Order: sequence, then C-alpha cells, then structure tokens
Amino acid sequence: MSSTPGSRPSTTAIIGWLIAAAVFLALAALVVLNAQSIWTSFFPPAAKSVEGTEIRNLYDIVFAIAVVIFVVVEGLIIWTVVRYRRKPGDDVLPPQTHGNNLAEITWTLIPTLIVLFLFVISWQTLNNVEAVNPKPDLAVRAVARQFSWSFEYLPAGADAETKAVFAITQQDGPTGGLFLPAGKTIHMYLHSPDVIHAFYVPQFLFKRDVIPGVNNQFDLEIPASDAGETYRGQCAELCGIGHRTMTLDVHVLAPADFQAWYDKQVTAASATPPPPPSGAPTIQLVAQGLEFDQSSLTGPATGFTIHFDNKDNLISHDVDILDAGGKKVVDNKDFPGPAAQDYPIPPLPAGTYKFECSIHPTQMFGTLTVQ
Amino acid sequence: MATTTLTPAASAYRSGLYEWLTTTDHKKIGILYLVNSFIFFFIGGIFALTVRTELAAPGLQILHDELLYNQLFTMHGTVMIFLFIIPVLVGFGNFVVPLQIGAPDMAFPRINALSFWMLPLAGILLLSGFLTGGVAQAGWTSYSPLAQDRPLASTGPGEDLWIMALLLIGTSSILGGINFLVTIFKMRAPGMTMFRMPILVWTVLVTSVLVVMATPVLTSALIMLFIDRNYGGHFFDAGTGPGSAILWQNVFWFYSHPAVYIMVLPAMGMISEILPVFSRKPLFGYKAFVFATAGIGALGFSVWAHHMFTTGQVFLPFFSLMTFLIAVPTGVKMFNWIFTLFRGKLTFSTPLLFALGFLSMFLIGGINGAFSAAVPVDFALQDTYWVVAHLHYVLFGGSVFGVMAGLYYWFPKMTGRMLNEGLGKIQFVLMFAGFNLTFFPMHQLGLAGMPRRIADYAANAGWNDLNLAATVGGFMIAASMLPLLANIFISRRAGKPAGDDPWEANTLEWATSSPPPPYNFDHLPEIRSERPLFDLRHGREAGH
Repeated sequence: MSSTPGSRPSTTAIIGWLIAAAVFLALAALVVLNAQSIWTSFFPPAAKSVEGTEIRNLYDIVFAIAVVIFVVVEGLIIWTVVRYRRKPGDDVLPPQTHGNNLAEITWTLIPTLIVLFLFVISWQTLNNVEAVNPKPDLAVRAVARQFSWSFEYLPAGADAETKAVFAITQQDGPTGGLFLPAGKTIHMYLHSPDVIHAFYVPQFLFKRDVIPGVNNQFDLEIPASDAGETYRGQCAELCGIGHRTMTLDVHVLAPADFQAWYDKQVTAASATPPPPPSGAPTIQLVAQGLEFDQSSLTGPATGFTIHFDNKDNLISHDVDILDAGGKKVVDNKDFPGPAAQDYPIPPLPAGTYKFECSIHPTQMFGTLTVQ
Repeated sequence: MATTTLTPAASAYRSGLYEWLTTTDHKKIGILYLVNSFIFFFIGGIFALTVRTELAAPGLQILHDELLYNQLFTMHGTVMIFLFIIPVLVGFGNFVVPLQIGAPDMAFPRINALSFWMLPLAGILLLSGFLTGGVAQAGWTSYSPLAQDRPLASTGPGEDLWIMALLLIGTSSILGGINFLVTIFKMRAPGMTMFRMPILVWTVLVTSVLVVMATPVLTSALIMLFIDRNYGGHFFDAGTGPGSAILWQNVFWFYSHPAVYIMVLPAMGMISEILPVFSRKPLFGYKAFVFATAGIGALGFSVWAHHMFTTGQVFLPFFSLMTFLIAVPTGVKMFNWIFTLFRGKLTFSTPLLFALGFLSMFLIGGINGAFSAAVPVDFALQDTYWVVAHLHYVLFGGSVFGVMAGLYYWFPKMTGRMLNEGLGKIQFVLMFAGFNLTFFPMHQLGLAGMPRRIADYAANAGWNDLNLAATVGGFMIAASMLPLLANIFISRRAGKPAGDDPWEANTLEWATSSPPPPYNFDHLPEIRSERPLFDLRHGREAGH
C-alpha cells in the first residue's frame, strides 16, 4: 500500500510549498507593516448620516460574529488537517465513525440560534433605517437619467409628483450636486425616466435603486456637526455605457448657509431667461437624452452655421443633412458629449431637407427648410 | 458509402471523430461536456483577464470603447455560469452517476446526446454577437429596461442572441434534469436503495429537481423579454412603456438563485465523495447530509429576492429570515465534512488538496453572504465589489475548486491514466494563492464604496492598490491553468496507468475497468451499504 499516490512529497511539491511559504511571508510582512490601515479596510467608511450610523453598528456586530465563526471553523479545518495526516506505511484503518445524532442536533441548533439573533437585530435596525418622518424639513427629488443626476427641490408638503421649485442640473462640482442642510430631516424621492439606476453614497452606508415607474423614497438626516463636508456618491446599478460617469456630490451646509443658498436658487429660477437670438445666421440645436430639442429648422439658402450642443455624456452625435431623395448633402463629423461645436452649412438650393444624427437616425431627425 | 450494418454494441467500439460526434454513451457524453465546458472556461477567463487588466490602474488603458467593456463582463458572467460551471457539473454527473448506481447508461441516451449538443451551439450563438455589432451588454442579469436597448440603442441583435443562447441552454438543462431523475429513480442496480446511494448521486438528484422546477420560469421570462424587444410587448419595458422593471428581476432571480445551488450542490457532492476516500473513513452523518441537501434545495426557492433588497419593492423581513436560515443546512454540511476528516488518516493527494480548498474558501463565501442577509448591511454592500467577492468565493472558491478536485479524482477512471501529482500541486498552490489575491481585496474595495461594472475609477478614490493586487491575482489564476493543461495533455498518454481503483475508493465506478467498457459492468459486487467497495475490500464488519 506504500504506492498510494502522494504519500511521498516530490521535488515539485517541495518547490510548490516553498513558493507558498514565500507568498505567505510576503503577505505577513505587508500585514504587519500596514496593520492599522488593513484593520480599517474591513469596515465601511465612518457613517455620516443618522441612518448610516445605525447600519454601521449592525455591521460591527455581524462582523464580530463572522470573525469568531471564521476563526473557529477555519481553525478546526486546519487543526484537523495537520493533526490527522496519514503516516507513511500506516495501513491500519481509522475508526469507522458513521455519525452522531447529538452532534448533528448541536450543530443544527447553535447556528439556528445565531442566525435568528442576527435576523432579529437586523430587522430592528431595518425598522429604524426605513422609518419615515411625516413632516420632513426638506423634500428633494433625485432624478437619475442616462447619464447624469439632477436634483429637484420640492415645496413643503410635496409628494412624488409635485413640481419642483428649482432644480440643480449639474451633478457635481462646487455649484453642482445635492445640497443638504445639516441636522435636518430630509425626505428623498427617486425618479428615473429611462433605466434602473441606484443612489449610493458610501458615507451614508446606503443605496436605493432608482427605478422607472417606481416611486422609491427614504429619509436622511446628517448630523449638525458635519456641516461643510462634501461626499462623493455614484450610481451603483449598471445603466449603460456612461454608468461610471454618474457620480454625484453631496454638499452638507449649516442650516443658515443652506437657507441662503436656497433663496439664491429660488431667485435665479424665477428670473426671466434671456431671449433667444433671432435672425442670426447661426441656428442653435441641442441633443439631450438621444433627442434633438427641435424637430424643424429653417435656414437661409446663402448658407448658415449650426451651433450644435451635444449634452449626452459619452454619447457621440452629429448633424447630417439629406436631400429629398435621401442623398447626404452635408456630412458632419460626430463628437461625444458634453461638448458643443459649430457646423458651417454651405449654400444649398431652397427646398425641404431632412437633418439627422447619423449614429441614431431612427431616433434623432427633423426637417430643415432652406429659404 | 459503406453499407455495413452495425449492431448498437458494435458501434460503441468504433473510434474516431465520427464516434465522438454520434455517441450516446454517457461516459463519452460526460467527457464531451467536460471538454466543451473547459473550452468556455478559458474563453470566459480571457474576458475576465481583460476586464481585470483594464481595472489594474485608474484611467482607460486598453478598453477605450466602454461599451466593449460592458460586453466583456456580460460575456464573462454568462459564459462562466451557463457554459462552464453548470455544464461542467452536468458532465461529471453524466460520467459518474450511472456508474455509481450500477447502471449501464443514462435512461435516455439519445436525449442525453441532444442535451449536450445544444451547448456548443448556444455558445456559438451567444458569442456570434461579436460579428453582428456587439454581444449583449446589460450584464449577465440582463436587467430590463437596460436590456431593451432603449432609449440608448447599443449592440443591436447581441441581446437577442443572448436570449436565444440561454433558451437553448435552458432546454438542454431541463432535458438533462429529467434524464437524471429517471436514471436515478429507475436504473439503480439491485441492492442500491435510496439511502445507499453515494452523496454525489443525491446532490445530482436534488439539483435536477431544482433544474426542472426553476428553469421553465427563466425560459418564460426570456421569451417575454424577446417579445418586448422585437414585437412591442410591454412586460418589462418600464420607462418607455407600461411594463414593470421589477417583474423581470423577480422571475429572473426565481431561476437564478436556485441556479446558485445548481452550481454548488454537485460540487458539494464531489467533495463528499473525495473527503471520505482520502481520510479512509465513511462520510460523517450521511443521512444528515442528505436532509441538509434537500433542505437547501427547498429553502433555495424562497430566497430569490435577497438580490433585490435595495429595490425597495420586496418584503424585506421574509427574505432576510429565509436567507439567514439557509445558512443552517449549509453549516451542517460544513461540520459533517470536518468530522469526516476528524480522526481520519489523511493522504494529501491533489483531489484532497482541492477539496480542502473548497472547504476553506466556501466557508468564507458562506460567512460573507450572511452580511448581505442582514438587510441594512446589504444596503451598504449591494452592487459593490463586496458582492463580487462573495459570489466568487462561492462559485470559484466553492464550485471551481470542487471541479478541480473531481477532475483529479475521476481523470484516472475516464482515461485509465493518473494525472501527475507534482503538476497538480503546483496548480493548486498557484490557484489557491491567486484566487485569494484576486478576490479577497474585493471585500475591502466594496466596503470602500467601489461599485461593480465600472470600467474606470478616480485615481484619488483610494482603490488603486487593492485593484492592482486583484489584477496580479487574476494573472496568477491564469498561470495556474498552464500546469493543468500540460498535465492533461501529457498524462492522457504518458501518465501512470491507473488500474481499476487507484484511490482505494468506496463507490461502484471503481469496480469496473478504467476506462469502463460500454455498458459499464460485467458484474457488480454486492451492495449492502453506501460503500460497496469498502465492504468488498475489508469485509462488511470492518465498516462499523
């Protein structure tokens, strides 16, 4: 029976173990040198919301229990494996134990109790996290679309359908993002017009999917002591090619600063927009959300310029012109948004033409009248 | 044109390509499953390596077309799940189950061949999207409305090819499941009662029940999605139509969560064959193990919505409780495995090394799953790299290590030759280290807030070192495939002859020659326990 495979370590096995030992030593050195940062990397970032703090407390309990179970069971595996190696030439059968009902009952009952405990404490935390204040201090609707965030501030007593007082259409940067007052109850509504996105800010230890056709909402409260902080969030549900660009900034302001900012936005929103330029040889055309903002354009036969503003993040568009026979008479080069470009249009015979985005011709087109 | 008439028995002896293309022998079909699955394993692995290479450092280095990035991780997930893990386990089942129950073949040999041949066809359909303007890009979960390709039209027919491929694979699975059920219920040798069946047979039995019950739900969901995309159906087209985005997730996960058990139960079965043999003891708690397997199968149907906690559209406490509870039968199995080793006499051949890799890694995959069962914690972790770590500790640390253990264990039976132990151990060390280097840092990345499925990240996000480590680990896993390939190609012809029973094993497949003849057995030993060969070798009394 000494010919049983593997009973004698071969040279290759020794080399294998040496490599393993070297890797293990390298890892051990890394761990010792970075003990502090490695330890903190096993935890979520410090929670910056009241709800996030609840979740963090729950995480810490789950983590502690997980570590104990891991150490005990993994230790048992390693100890058993080291202790019960077969010695060379040992052909005596070990005792043929088939099982033990008491043991089976024990390791059914104890894990059951542990998971029931975990279930109960996570249910309690869940109730706290999901609790909704009937009179929030502020209601904001986060609108996620391919591929940007905008934030609509709603009047008091709003529901999910209420028209916004004003909207922040820029998703990040010093003037863009979600501006929130510290120490206040905020009610968030989530809205998507296209595909599923997810509102996720790591410091809140929280995410909620933004689903078309579904009115998801949650409460959020940031401690007063965190005024002045900015947190970076990100869409967490795959939403297409620009998924990774859907970042958002959460700016936390002291209540007085927030009120000043809020009033300024209200004033700006109620100001009359500048009149559109008229009679100029330049025509404005905007592409957003795979649509042109105009379905018919008019230009002089002597030639003109199309100022084309592509607002679709990462998506390329262009504006080509086709005559009545479908022949392409102007072929402009496409470019990805967000960016704007002037397309010079040469003199064309008067008549009706079709303009289209050559990349999305079935969705983005319109009529061009040349006079 | 030859006109020789061959009897069925004679045709089984015909060799060459024609024989492999037309065989209905369960052993040859099993080997075809394995070869086909490993080809797709390498294809899916190349997709994963490309993704990992892109993520090694911030900035876009190799995949400037981000739609291609989305296509690659979509194909990685789809290929690994539907064309590698599920079929590779069916392959082992095909080869081993009829032998282990003393049957001459599967109950329906020609349906068995049909089940197999749908798979390469499905794989070609799925990947042919690369020639038609792009493969599917909505992730392997294919969430609608993104999968409708509206409003941002993207990869043309790629998504339809994905649906067609999955329909074929699903049909193959259902046929295979029915075949296994009939084989196990009707074809057992005299004396092979249900509670004398090897645990692998039990796990294939429960898996087949899951397949037959869950797969039709996926099939109908796929057909609805196809109608949505091509004929203006309104099942899942929220956003642009009256359909429901959540409905897709419910039906998709109603299949795809049980599918996790389809992907791991047979691997558990293989481990349960290997641990007793290499510790020279019976499996500890055979009946408890059977009940735990059935329990996992039953509970597996009530936990699907734990993939949907952050949708806000499911009843959270129920699915949380069920998800916690399913840890209990899994824990029972873990302790039974450990106590099989306990007081045994362990021989560290490559199959045992991979089986121990399964135990220690699957343990982590179970524990980090419990974090997500705690709903509020899942709010923090869902759709981050934590989930990627969790699922790879289950499906790679669990299933793939189990598959490797099974390959080293049954290769001698399939070919009559032993795989080389030295190369096997090099592969194990590389794979074990590479696996942990790749996937362990993903826990920390997820906690630090890195979402899944992004091609790039900010250089100041603090994710650089961990991503680099994961990429290095990915290349170590790839390197571990070289000794495996060398081993298979060399040992197949030049390996040490195996003989009938090289491991002193317990079950019937080792009572016939290696490789077994057509129809498997000349005569069967007496079956008086779940270890007929042990009884034959040591006498019935020694087993107690």
